[in-house]
Amino acid sequence: MEERLYDLIFICRPATPEEDVKKLVTAVETACAEKGAKIEKTELWGTKKLAYRVAKHREGIFVYSQIRTTHGELILELERRLGVQDAVIKYMTIRLDEDMKRQKKFGKKREKRAARRPRRNVAPAAAAPAAPAPAPAGDQSAAG
Amino acid sequence: MSEEQKPAAPAEAAAPEAAPAPAAAASPAPTGTPSHGGPSRGGGPRREGGPRREGGPGGPGGPGGPGGPRRGGKRQFFRKKKVCKFCTEKMDYIDYKKAEILAPFVQERGKIMPRRLTGTCSRHQRWLGVAIKRARNIALLPFAGHTPGAGSSAPHRFSERGDRGDRGERGDRGDRGDR
Repeated sequence: MEERLYDLIFICRPATPEEDVKKLVTAVETACAEKGAKIEKTELWGTKKLAYRVAKHREGIFVYSQIRTTHGELILELERRLGVQDAVIKYMTIRLDEDMKRQKKFGKKREKRAARRPRRNVAPAAAAPAAPAPAPAGDQSAAG
Repeated sequence: MSEEQKPAAPAEAAAPEAAPAPAAAASPAPTGTPSHGGPSRGGGPRREGGPRREGGPGGPGGPGGPGGPRRGGKRQFFRKKKVCKFCTEKMDYIDYKKAEILAPFVQERGKIMPRRLTGTCSRHQRWLGVAIKRARNIALLPFAGHTPGAGSSAPHRFSERGDRGDRGERGDRGDRGDR
């Protein structure tokens, strides 16, 4: 299986102590290490206001991880472990490698297009010095 | 058209001059229409009017028909052309985690704005929709209700009772805690 990139976000209850949040992060890292996955980055976003009530809470502690793995079943295992935890009220995993491929593809297309088309700014600049030249000739003919 | 009206004009002009009183008395009979601004249909004096074609929907104050008044009609047709913000910034990936980027494209009630209002191109509108739906799932944007940062300062109607939107009354104890 080719390597896949996943975004994992989970939300803890706002009253969760910091130590418990770190334990959860460690548990995710351990599960990834067991399956040979690599955690690209982990971010603790802290307490943020939720757009709607989740488990009767209006705020939550957001934790974000980016995981690179060739084992898709790792995500099932992670979600199972997060679902068991009382402190976690919401979690979401999104596969990102296809989006990143598309981003690269469109970026390359744009660069190709920019390299192919000559810049149109040069043409008016070249025409501008030529414009005043006929004017003095016209004035002389009018005076004459 | 105007040439046909010209010979008739002196005769019609003479008639009201000769007998203004009977003309005033008789005026309702021939026309039978209430007088209103603009050219009359019953063949009244055509001193002020131009050709009938430009009479149109009304005088100077009227907003005009579906096409708009011809003098100012161009203003109604042409609006400032909106450009796709993502194309301008060369953004090939719309990150669902950045709610501040997505919020301007969401209405106060949480609905996604149509691209004819935002000027987004079709490709980015599709990606934007995907990003907004992901953000909704992770509670960064609401499904329905007041959107923070969407530009509205009006308080939500159900703000005291929670984000129930149009779902009506709820059966639990609200903010009074659990028992």
